[in-house]
Amino acid sequence: MQLALDANMTNLQAVERSSSELDDIDALVRTYRPRLLRFVTFSIGDADLAESITQDCFLKAYNGRDKFRGDCSVNTWLTSIAVNLIRDQQRLQKFRFWRQARATAIDVHDAANFLPSHESSAEARILAIERTGQVQAALENLSVNQRTIFLMRFAEDMDLAEIAASISMPINTVKTHLHRALKAVRAQVGGSR
Amino acid sequence: MNSAITHLTEEQIDDVLLGELAAAPAAHLAGCDACKAQVALAEAPIASFKAVSLAWSERRSATLPSKLIPSSASSWYRHASWAAAASAVLLLAIAVPVTRYEAASSKHQLASNSTPHITQPAQVNAALTVPNEILHEVRIQPVATGVSSGSHAVQIARDNQMLQDIDRELEASAQPPADDLEIQSVGNRSNPRGRPSNIRNWD
Repeated sequence: MQLALDANMTNLQAVERSSSELDDIDALVRTYRPRLLRFVTFSIGDADLAESITQDCFLKAYNGRDKFRGDCSVNTWLTSIAVNLIRDQQRLQKFRFWRQARATAIDVHDAANFLPSHESSAEARILAIERTGQVQAALENLSVNQRTIFLMRFAEDMDLAEIAASISMPINTVKTHLHRALKAVRAQVGGSR
Repeated sequence: MNSAITHLTEEQIDDVLLGELAAAPAAHLAGCDACKAQVALAEAPIASFKAVSLAWSERRSATLPSKLIPSSASSWYRHASWAAAASAVLLLAIAVPVTRYEAASSKHQLASNSTPHITQPAQVNAALTVPNEILHEVRIQPVATGVSSGSHAVQIARDNQMLQDIDRELEASAQPPADDLEIQSVGNRSNPRGRPSNIRNWD
């Protein structure tokens, strides 16, 4: 009984903490924008459009913060909003996916200079850029679902249940997409035998 | 135990990356350097992607304004500017022809006012014996030139007199031949001045 009460209190505190976190939109943007921007950018392959979608995502989250029930992390909630916004964009066909979006394609070469210290040597940076480019190229060849799930799992560190909840997909379907995505990426990057 | 299990397959390496490796292959992996190397080789590109892409997005995010500007507002401005531009074009499209028409009308009026010879009433009366379609083509022949602007008022008075004469002659006639043909008479009775509504000036 006491354990159940403690668990309820913990959940309540988590909700309150998340809700207060959502009330400060500036702090929300500061904390989550880099990760969200990465997710959207590599989901759609267009850096400029990703900025717009990311901004819309924060506004939508802030305006709908009352609907946040605290049953997932704020990052997961934001990611699921971003997924819906990306889908809306696809439906509206405001952009062509990936192959037509090369004009504002992502150039990660400069970013390698800002890598953490353990990869700061010139050789490590070159290798990291090369590998990143390979994964980025492999992502382009994935289906939309595979790419979204791959990014959620390996970039956002979301577990399968969170991914399934975020995109309203059965967990076994998520697993299937994830296995296929990983296999395709490894085959193209060369990490498989 | 390791000798009982072969090295990890590709699927098992995928399972390692997905955190779903079964207990037996996981035990093998714990004691097999070759498999550890394979797993590290598979993990490296994804780890690099994760690190570099985050560094990229952090840098990109730092260049963005910290305050959010609603894109709906920006789209509203965009739509409003488009609407304003479209309205301006529409107004121009309407105003230019109207202005030109009015300018041309005033020019024609000046020209007709300065015309000393207009088709004589008798000629118009004779013309009334022909069908209305032809009457609609009654022309006021411009014979311009050489009339000073001071005579405009006199000319207008003459024209009005002439049109009143036409009205009288039309009223005096028993029945216009056009009535037999069930064609509307050229004389517009509702028009107090009785002018034919569409006399065209062909100057």
